[in-house]
Amino acid sequence: MQHLANLTDVRGRAGESAIEVDRLSHVYAGPDGGVPALVDISMSVGKGRFVVIVGPSGCGKTSLLMMMAGLRRQTEGTLLCHGRPILDPDPERVGVIFQEASLFPWLSTLDNIEFPLSLRGTPREERRGRSQAMLSLVGLEGFGHRYPHELSGGMKQRVSIARGLVQDPPVLLMDEPFAALDEQTRMTMGHELLRIWSTTRKTVVFITHSLTEAVYLGDEVLVMSARPGRLIDHIEVTLPRPRTYEMMATDVFGRLRDRIWQQIRKTA
Amino acid sequence: MRRPEPATVRWLILATLLVLWEVVPLTGLLPELLLPPLSKTLAVLWTDRTIYGAALLVTLYEVVAAMLIACGLGILAGALVGGLAVLRNLLLPVFSSLYAVPIVILYPVFTAWFGIGSSSKIIFAGVYGFFPVMLSTAAGIRTIDPQFLLAARSMGATLPQQITRVIIPASVPTVFAGLRLGGALTIIGVVVSEMLTASAGIGYLVTLNRTILDSPRVFAAILAILLLSVGYHMLARAIESRMVVWQSVARRPSAATRREREATVPVPAAA
Repeated sequence: MQHLANLTDVRGRAGESAIEVDRLSHVYAGPDGGVPALVDISMSVGKGRFVVIVGPSGCGKTSLLMMMAGLRRQTEGTLLCHGRPILDPDPERVGVIFQEASLFPWLSTLDNIEFPLSLRGTPREERRGRSQAMLSLVGLEGFGHRYPHELSGGMKQRVSIARGLVQDPPVLLMDEPFAALDEQTRMTMGHELLRIWSTTRKTVVFITHSLTEAVYLGDEVLVMSARPGRLIDHIEVTLPRPRTYEMMATDVFGRLRDRIWQQIRKTA
Repeated sequence: MRRPEPATVRWLILATLLVLWEVVPLTGLLPELLLPPLSKTLAVLWTDRTIYGAALLVTLYEVVAAMLIACGLGILAGALVGGLAVLRNLLLPVFSSLYAVPIVILYPVFTAWFGIGSSSKIIFAGVYGFFPVMLSTAAGIRTIDPQFLLAARSMGATLPQQITRVIIPASVPTVFAGLRLGGALTIIGVVVSEMLTASAGIGYLVTLNRTILDSPRVFAAILAILLLSVGYHMLARAIESRMVVWQSVARRPSAATRREREATVPVPAAA
């Protein structure tokens, strides 16, 4: 039961945690009563940590993230972000990046990045300044006046990351952001994300079903079981930072990836 | 040999038709009563220009007023039906089946209620154009990608902001398609009602001159209506292409995927 000990260990550092999930369960209303989706999830995400959640399709990992984002309400348990409960979306605490870049096709790249600021009536000049800064952070200078349909899939996700960061929230939630990209673009984007993360020092909760991505990106990997989703393993990724592509070929990398796979396979 | 441009071919076809219009009646293949030569039609149109001009103004006024009704009410009703599930389930099947009813059968009733002046035409054509506008507005709102709304909510958009900043701009292209069709139907509605019972307007001129077998004047009126519709179509296209720049290109996802490879995505500095 080493992983349970780990869980308690991580939960123990409550003082420095960005996100705190306590005995969270969720039941979907179905035609024949409730369908349990998430069962007794407790976890803690330390400030500035990069935490990856992996699990088989339909295990409820996206639901969990939506609850952290305040976009969906759990049936039981509590969710805290920096000590305060999460009840509604709060873009100043939490930025969300979705699998589909979900950029608005009628807005230019800069207008898309500024969208959250314009909702709060931030003055135009300040908006432009911040969106330009975000655009260079994600490496897309010069693409500010393009429209989403003029961008490639990888570029769209960069814009979407810029939009998630524009209000400078301390926490970034990412729901399989690179799943729709081809493998080469995906590798580049993972590396890019680590670069951005290392300059901004955000707390990141990242959902994926790619084992390689999980080990390559994360400080810790949480493994979820098939539906109804529970946490079945907690893995500290012992690889040093900054991560390099060469690490993927190492034994440590292989063993970590294999451990995740064994856990998932057991429940599938 | 290079294949000629489609536009060139289209103009050639039009020119051929105009030449045939002039030549065929002159050769005697068709009696002038059935098809008066183009030159004669144009001559009549020129000599009677004040009559045709006045009639066209009446028709234009009725068309514009009917379009305002069709678009205004159509967008309003479409937004309600598309946005509220209760109304949608209740009304959408009714409206969809009403769309198939030849509304022209109601026109005699409309003249009884509103007289034979402009108001009966405006109301009839307004109703005629209402359905496509309403149905496409409802469809436009219903088919919005839910991901857009989820993203907007995650960024803290309130319900009014979701409506003005996401739902309205996202449904513009579909609504416009409905407006173009609805507008065309109001023109048809106005002209048909003028042909049936009226004392003014271009449709009235068609009926009037047909009963006295004055073919050149009938064709002159037809030509005027043709110009009106073509003018409307060009105007609608121009507005549409200006309003929804993103739509035409966004519908071709393959182009973006192809660029994926070619795009010079900046190499990460940390690599």
